[in-house]
Amino acid sequence: MRTVSWIAIVIVSAVAGAALWVHLPVSAQEESYTAPRTADGAPDLNGIWQALNTAHYDIQAHPARPALAIIPASPRSDTPGLVRATHVELPAPVVRPFGAVGGVPAGAGVVEGDEIPYQPWALAKKKENADHWLERDPEIKCFMPGVPRATYMPYPFQILQGTDKILIAYEFAGATRTIHMNTVGDSPSPTWMGWSRGRWDGNTLVVEVTDFNEDTWFDRAGNFHSDALHVIERYTPVSPHHLMYEVTIEDPKVFTRPWKMRMPLYRRFDRDAQIREYKCVEFVEQLMYGHLGVVDPATGTINK
Amino acid sequence: MQHRSFVLLGAVAIGGAIAVPACYAPPSANAPSTTIGRTAWGDPDLQGVWRYEGAIPLERPGQLGDRATLTEQEVAQRQALEKEQAEKRLEGYEGAAVGRRSVGESPIRGNEYNSFWQDHGRPRQISNRTSLIVDPPDGKLPFTADAKKAEARSAARYGVGPFESYLDPDTGERCLTDGVTGMMWQGPNGGHNRIVQSPGYVTILHEEYRDRRVIPVDARSHGSIRQWFGDAIGRWEGDTLVVDTTNFVDRTNYEWANIWTRPSESLHLVERFKRVDATTIEYTITVEDPTTFARPWTAVIPITKLPDDTQIYEYACHEGNYAMPNLLGGGRTDAARTSSR
Repeated sequence: MRTVSWIAIVIVSAVAGAALWVHLPVSAQEESYTAPRTADGAPDLNGIWQALNTAHYDIQAHPARPALAIIPASPRSDTPGLVRATHVELPAPVVRPFGAVGGVPAGAGVVEGDEIPYQPWALAKKKENADHWLERDPEIKCFMPGVPRATYMPYPFQILQGTDKILIAYEFAGATRTIHMNTVGDSPSPTWMGWSRGRWDGNTLVVEVTDFNEDTWFDRAGNFHSDALHVIERYTPVSPHHLMYEVTIEDPKVFTRPWKMRMPLYRRFDRDAQIREYKCVEFVEQLMYGHLGVVDPATGTINK
Repeated sequence: MQHRSFVLLGAVAIGGAIAVPACYAPPSANAPSTTIGRTAWGDPDLQGVWRYEGAIPLERPGQLGDRATLTEQEVAQRQALEKEQAEKRLEGYEGAAVGRRSVGESPIRGNEYNSFWQDHGRPRQISNRTSLIVDPPDGKLPFTADAKKAEARSAARYGVGPFESYLDPDTGERCLTDGVTGMMWQGPNGGHNRIVQSPGYVTILHEEYRDRRVIPVDARSHGSIRQWFGDAIGRWEGDTLVVDTTNFVDRTNYEWANIWTRPSESLHLVERFKRVDATTIEYTITVEDPTTFARPWTAVIPITKLPDDTQIYEYACHEGNYAMPNLLGGGRTDAARTSSR
């Protein structure tokens, strides 16, 4: 009996604790937790981290849907009682064989207020991007994912804190960012992963990222930016096993005002957790170049 | 991309020639050094941007026979030649026009091919050593007979074709990698490597192909997953970082026997990073690969620390690989011509 009541107490406290965790304002949590320090005295963010959400599909709130690429169902016949059936989306033919594996789970989104303040032309372009997702999403071609998209893709990344540089090693496409914690000159050119300058603000690693090209996206829903993108990231340890990731997006060419995203990042504990190779260049060569050669390696077809 | 070549580069900055002193002396015992910097947690500090800036070729040129070192006079001649060539490069001359007349004078080989990709400027460091390879004593790669033939077949095909599909160019042209073994001392666009240390890890970021190795330094045992860069495990032996790598994967459609471009699955690579002074790491590789080499071989490579403000820039090779469609288009044009003859 004693054991049972102990378990009950533990469960009740855990549930209450979890509830408290969820409902406390995050700023209070941030204040209540002090991250361990590295030997240099900086907050210790070293580790392998990963987002666990659906922002990689769509950073805004979205219902579940049957596939990443969808087509509308054909109009119903005039059968009485059926013509007003709810609009239905179907998987596009090219992704249909994936069945339930290819579905998109619902998510509450990570955008503050769930509104991305696009300029009117840009909102139209976002919708067009979504409609042409298969042809346009740079992730499909294994291009470097940009920032902040790299953070919440469904792959882990590792923070490696050196003396005056912090590296973030992303698994996807083997992309790496160097965050300069010392003073450096300007980037000589626009880049895919940006030019990152970091500083400490209490427990928080603040990174200003500039010098982007206009070729990366925010998600698989067609959300995009221009080469005027300016990203401010905040990585705050909120428990030994969580970072709170907050990011401010500024891009006066595309948006009417700055906007924010926020999500927890989770420490990977798995046995022998490490960043593996995901050299997807070789995974997309067939897609990008298969039809261009004398021989198509997938079919053995001789192209004329 | 088309520019891949085993080429050593000039430098970003311009400086004077610095002779690497004396002949190679074997590494001394691993006694902790008090003269090198240390990280806040006490490991030898290897951080910074590093590159091989020497002019020592990997293999000893044939005309030097069994000589492990050059005479003082020969060193002086080479220093003068290097200075002259560096000045010509600064004036805009390229390739053969620079005056580097033979493969033997190149640090690796083919220094004339596509030399416009190189960042010219600083003369290479001249040393009296005749080869980076210190074992076997003849300074030559101990290829097996089969490997030698395969290497010859690949050399004949490289840059020539046929290019029938995207699998036919080599891994560099496909923007995949030029491999781990040469990462610290080769590279067409500078061979720059940034080393960053954090507790339990040494990470090397190589500019070309944005190659990156996150090396756990905890003497864990090798796993079972094969990767292009293998499975690297580090440990400290005194002040020397020893990195042991196995589990390479070979998915190239090329027969290169040089294991830096085409890591054979039987390759066992042991690297030693020993910081010998403020600006030098003595980098030693021992290569064991029974399918390619008749015996293990060892090369000792002096790696130079570049100025603190040297950056590794983004290398978006795949993202801008216009060469691949053009190469395949050229292959189809060639095939059409051949069939219409």
